[in-house]
Amino acid sequence: MKANFKMALDSIFANKMRSFLTMLGIIIGITAVIAILAVGNGATSQITGTFNDLGASTISLSVSDKAIKADYITKADLQTMKDSIQKLDYISPDARLAGTITSDFSDKSVIAYGGTTDLQFTNQTMKNNLVYGRYFNQNEYDDAKNVAVISEDGATVLFNGRKDVVGEKINISYRGTALSLKIIGVTASSQESTVGFFDAENMPVFIATPLTTLETLNPELGNLDSVTVKVSSKDDIDSVSKQMVRLLETRHEKVGDDLYSATNFLQSLDQIDSVLGLFINFIAAVAAIALVVGGIGVMNIMLVSVTERTREIGTRKALGATTNTILFQFLMESVILSLIGGIIGLVLGILLANGVASALDIVPSITPGAVILVLLFSSAVGIFFGIYPARKAAKLDPIEALRYE
Amino acid sequence: MIDLKNVKKIYHTGGEELIALNDVSLQIKKGEFTSIMGPSGSGKSTMMNILGLLDRFDEGSYILNGQNVSSLTDNESAHVRNKEIGFVFQSFNLMPRMSILENVELPMVYAKVSAKERHERAMIALEKVGLANRVKHKPNEISGGQKQRVAIARAIVNQPAVLMADEPTGNLDSKTTLEIMKIFQDLNADGTTVVMVTHEPDVAQYTKRIVSFKDGRLMDDQLVENPIIL
Ligand SMILES: Nc1ncnc2c1ncn2[C@@H]1O[C@H](COP(=O)(O)OP(=O)(O)OP(=O)(O)O)[C@@H](O)[C@H]1O
Ligand SMILES: [Mg+2]
Repeated sequence: MKANFKMALDSIFANKMRSFLTMLGIIIGITAVIAILAVGNGATSQITGTFNDLGASTISLSVSDKAIKADYITKADLQTMKDSIQKLDYISPDARLAGTITSDFSDKSVIAYGGTTDLQFTNQTMKNNLVYGRYFNQNEYDDAKNVAVISEDGATVLFNGRKDVVGEKINISYRGTALSLKIIGVTASSQESTVGFFDAENMPVFIATPLTTLETLNPELGNLDSVTVKVSSKDDIDSVSKQMVRLLETRHEKVGDDLYSATNFLQSLDQIDSVLGLFINFIAAVAAIALVVGGIGVMNIMLVSVTERTREIGTRKALGATTNTILFQFLMESVILSLIGGIIGLVLGILLANGVASALDIVPSITPGAVILVLLFSSAVGIFFGIYPARKAAKLDPIEALRYE
Repeated sequence: MIDLKNVKKIYHTGGEELIALNDVSLQIKKGEFTSIMGPSGSGKSTMMNILGLLDRFDEGSYILNGQNVSSLTDNESAHVRNKEIGFVFQSFNLMPRMSILENVELPMVYAKVSAKERHERAMIALEKVGLANRVKHKPNEISGGQKQRVAIARAIVNQPAVLMADEPTGNLDSKTTLEIMKIFQDLNADGTTVVMVTHEPDVAQYTKRIVSFKDGRLMDDQLVENPIIL
């Protein structure tokens, strides 16, 4: 066994260039497989992670016919849904408008979110992790009080670096209408969900106000076309979605009209996963072709090697090598050849994955399973494409082999 | 040791039959040193291949060292070759990428001898042929005569019943031929049975018995009257 192993290595290293060229197909194939697996897995887990952050337990309820602004979802609906659907924790409209915000010191563009008091739980940007002050309450919502919660970054920009701006006044203007609001709270800026969309210079200020207040700037916002819902657990998503749609359909006499739809981030995640999976499969197929080509290269070179070493095989048989001994010897050689190719491919693949991943700003993930898979796979290629030449060698007639010039 | 009875070997080539060996019977006892002679194409190599279990025959029987080896499977023949027969070829047939030591160890690899014992026994065999000092060299770093000595060491390392050599001096000059014949004589003196094909009458004079072939028939079989001892 050990002697066989050494013989195989000897003959591989005796023709370094030839062996290397033979391995090239396998090297390229394995490099591609490893790099794709690593980057693909890294990207998938990154996206999965982001989506879980964004709220796997979030449902977005919307009206499919958005062109017609009508009261398909009313504020009263929200309250009814919250009261009658058990697992529904929070529900708030998703209204927003983009306008200009002015303080005594400067002005900026603004994105103002309008919702119920549940907005603090359903909105990613204006979450209720307050640094100063408080969120608006039910009374302020009911009475459309001119109050707002502002993001920490926004406060800094508008008030010359000050953060504790509770009690200050700001002005929002939208299409010629203006509204003066009192700041009642400052939230910690939630970087993750917004960074990437805006650079620091153009970053708008984010504020949250009662929807009722925001409606004075744009009455159309009262026609809710999109609502965000939080449930306590992922498992409740389906049942809550169904109950909401059913309830709205009944209340608005639209049963069977397919007017309402409830979607969840997990569903989008599945879609992204399947697109990514498709991509990975495609590249894997390309890599598989490279491996087959590499395997044929191995087979070819092994056939050449068997022919070149016909006399050697004859001699070995004369010295007592059995058919199986010869078979095993040549099989070992092709397996080692493929395996070395596989290991080189593994190393190159990891390097490539790291390069690509750092360019794409993701963390490549190379699992021990993938490494074992690659090693097994390249051995399998060696066996599969090595068996024919090895059998050919093993079945040589000793006399003819010895007589071969 | 060797008991061959009425052996016939026919080659079929393109519809034609060629009788390479015709009704050949031959006994060789333990400790003999026999040369097989005859003109080209007379069947000497065919005879050696059959004696060495490399080839099968069509009629007759063959008993080697008490074992009927007339119709063995490929694997059985391989084992008998490994244990009972040592081959020496005209063109040495050493493994080019293996060192001299590894070449001599090879038959023991097939006999599944442990690495340690392989090394010891290979060194003893190489000592017998006077090459114990060059064991790390590759075959292409030594002369033809030395190569043939390595081949002899390889042939005797499994202590076979019989040493078979097909024109072992065919590629060697006359001085080296004598060196090789001396090694055969020494091994024979130690009890090794040797069978050797040669077409040089001079070389046959160093052996004890000459068997002559012509057209596939054993024509003549006589003892060498005064073998030259080197
Ligand atoms: N594989 C084969 N197929 C057909 N005929 C063969 C084969 N091998 C040998 N022969 C024929 O058998 C006969 C004996 O051949 P063999 O090789 O035994 O002769 P030889 O005595 O060794 O000759 P030389 O001195 O030239 O080596 C020859 O006529 C040869 O052509
Ligand atoms: Mg011959």
